[in-house]
Amino acid sequence: MSRPVPVPTSLSEPFWEAARGGDLVIPYCPSCDLRFFVPEPACPGCMSRDWRYVPSAGRGTVYSVTVVHRAPGPGFDTPFALAVIDLDDGATLLSHVDAGDPDDVVIGMRVRVDFRPFTDEITLPYFVPDTRPERPTTE
Amino acid sequence: MNGRQPVVVGVYATEQALSLPARDAMDLALEAVRGAIEDAGLTPADVDGAQVDWPGPGGVPGEGSSWARVLGRDLRWTSDSMLDNAGSRGLLKAAAAVRAGFADTVVVGGCKLVSRGAGPVGAGVPLEFADVWGSYVVAQFALVAARHMHEYGTTSRQLAEVAATIRNNGTTNPEAMMYGRGPYTADDVLASRMVATPFHLLDCCIVGEGGAALVVTTAERARDLPHPAVAVLGGGMEYHQSAYANPALYREVGQLGRDAATRAYAMAGIGPQDVDVFALYDPNSFEIIRQLEVLGVCDEGEGGPLAASGAIAVGGKHPVNPDGGCLSYAWNGTQQMTLKVVEAVRQLRGSAVHQVEGADLAVVGNAGSGAQHYEMSVLGRMR
Repeated sequence: MSRPVPVPTSLSEPFWEAARGGDLVIPYCPSCDLRFFVPEPACPGCMSRDWRYVPSAGRGTVYSVTVVHRAPGPGFDTPFALAVIDLDDGATLLSHVDAGDPDDVVIGMRVRVDFRPFTDEITLPYFVPDTRPERPTTE
Repeated sequence: MNGRQPVVVGVYATEQALSLPARDAMDLALEAVRGAIEDAGLTPADVDGAQVDWPGPGGVPGEGSSWARVLGRDLRWTSDSMLDNAGSRGLLKAAAAVRAGFADTVVVGGCKLVSRGAGPVGAGVPLEFADVWGSYVVAQFALVAARHMHEYGTTSRQLAEVAATIRNNGTTNPEAMMYGRGPYTADDVLASRMVATPFHLLDCCIVGEGGAALVVTTAERARDLPHPAVAVLGGGMEYHQSAYANPALYREVGQLGRDAATRAYAMAGIGPQDVDVFALYDPNSFEIIRQLEVLGVCDEGEGGPLAASGAIAVGGKHPVNPDGGCLSYAWNGTQQMTLKVVEAVRQLRGSAVHQVEGADLAVVGNAGSGAQHYEMSVLGRMR
């Protein structure tokens, strides 16, 4: 047993392909102007199947965080900061925030995406503290 | 009262233990079903509906109609889904069938040994955007709790008071998995090792094996049965999204259950202050605080101070989980939900291990996955 490896689906393959190139992309529904995550068969705003991936600037704010001391299985370096991140340009992701000491990760912390290779196929969108002082007003 | 008013007339819990290596799920399911029917003063031939896990061997695993052969009669009502076969959700569906006349007497429950070889407790299927981050049940609930603490100042000590209170009910319950362990103080909880902030080990529920079942019939049929009938006075269910695929966000699910409770109280013609005893899902200490709020016992944000005030103790104003709950009595997979009904019915019969004096009204609350679903029912002793 080791840390679970995501298995891309027809819904998520573009996400992982972009991640390999260091880009964060998010499902976007043009008919109701909604960004959402995780990718769904149909838009959670209007049930449209015609959503597509759009780039995200990858900056956001920690909505909630738990420091996991006991992982659900082998392959994790504990403790780690498991966090929910509200992206500035829309959608909310689960990820890890690597701030050195996981206890330093707090609700409201500004973070930015930091892609890290995991397997040949999968590159993971970690987050790290964003030291830029100002929250961007536009993407 | 309408003769087709649904009532619970039989309940049964098998032994509950960390591991029952000599028994399989079928064995425990059979015991639970037989036990609940016997407790109702009925025979299998009286039962025309079965919402019961069919674990096999034999039959078709998951197919509820497999029970027809074992019960020895054709069935009028069945279910294939394990969550439809447990707790308030199973009870409300059976009650709806009984009230509508699709069936007269339905058994709900069974056993599914989710703890055997299932790995970390969770959705039971790979989740592409959750598993890789080490997200699991404790962590997803922790993300909700952490936000509640941030917004309302709820403290780790308040959580620990909840855990200690409910665990100490199990300490003196001979049926509890943790019988004889403890008693615990809040300091003991805070001193136990951290699992996922804010949850220490003793803030989190136990994991074990066992089965449970209940029997629902009409008030008319219940008249000549041995135990006082317990009426299903109201209920409600809420579903935000599928389990665990997305993290539970406090802003989306923190008050999940309030709509169900509001509807259920209106059906029952009661308010939250009328409830004598609560049997609530307690996968961790915080989930009790959240449910005190959504069930209207207190306002949003006030659950921490209320729970830590002594109100949830057996002698308190709002007793919660006198049996020790999932924190100390038993967690056995889906049938822990049925155990909540069992405890509520025992309380309303006046036969619970830790009896709340004069309990006439009980609320059963089931939930899961952080909590992205909520199923509750209002039960009342029939006079």
